[in-house]
Amino acid sequence: MNKFISFLLTILFISTVISAQGFKVKAAGTQTFNFEDQSGRNQASFFSATPLEDITGTGSAISGTVSFDVANFAKTLKGKISVKVSSINTGIELRNHHLQSANWLNAANYPEASFEIVSVSDVKQTADNKLEFKVKGNYSMHGVTKEVVANADATYLDENDQTKKRAPGDLLGVRAKFNINLSEYDVDNALVGNKVAEKIELSINMVGSNK
Amino acid sequence: MNQKQKRTLIIAAVIIVALLVIWIAFGGHIFTRTQVLIEKKDELFPDMVQKEWVNKFIWGLDLSLVLSVITIFIGSLLFYLFRDKKKIN
Repeated sequence: MNKFISFLLTILFISTVISAQGFKVKAAGTQTFNFEDQSGRNQASFFSATPLEDITGTGSAISGTVSFDVANFAKTLKGKISVKVSSINTGIELRNHHLQSANWLNAANYPEASFEIVSVSDVKQTADNKLEFKVKGNYSMHGVTKEVVANADATYLDENDQTKKRAPGDLLGVRAKFNINLSEYDVDNALVGNKVAEKIELSINMVGSNK
Repeated sequence: MNQKQKRTLIIAAVIIVALLVIWIAFGGHIFTRTQVLIEKKDELFPDMVQKEWVNKFIWGLDLSLVLSVITIFIGSLLFYLFRDKKKIN
């Protein structure tokens, strides 16, 4: 009987550990991270293959917050990240102008693209302070919102002498990557006379602070 | 074709070939650009790669084509102007 109870307790312990995956760091409780970065280090970027030349663009005007319970990341993660369309740079001034024009992303009418977190799944703990996971969210662009799933990872750094040089408080580094189809967002994929790939790869690299 | 016309033709051809050589030397990019993307590792988050635009001129095929068209236009004009003018009595 004692063996059976200890077996049940073991199963209960294991299932609790698995279901409540979170960071094993000094911080505890719910933490909110702000990703607005005046230095422009935080970036959203896109990659598109065209018949003539591959296009990479970056957007550095990122804003938004993410909050979660440190010990139970998967079930408590929520937040929204936005990037200003006017900050997108492709390295060619004329192409930037076309990208932000009414024929394409229409920055005047739809100044921001955003990702709002819905749920988290497939969480893997790769280090005490690092998690890999899939995040389902509503991605909005060009006035259209669609559900997407991004592959992401997050690294939690408790405040120390090195992190203080970047920003006060604990830091959270987030990487995420997902694909979208331009036609689903009512974007005509003709750009400066060239066809841009229907499928665009979007990625985000950002570091936020909880102070 | 007189000597001046021949010289015009050769110079125009050399300029066009030079424009193509310059284009290839700059990496054979289709579009001319004034910025290139470089990647930097983040000191605090080693897995993260930060992309940064730096000012650098890259000669593209578009620029070579525009200058080639201008060369052909000027060459044709000079070729016409250097033609032998026959006097009709």
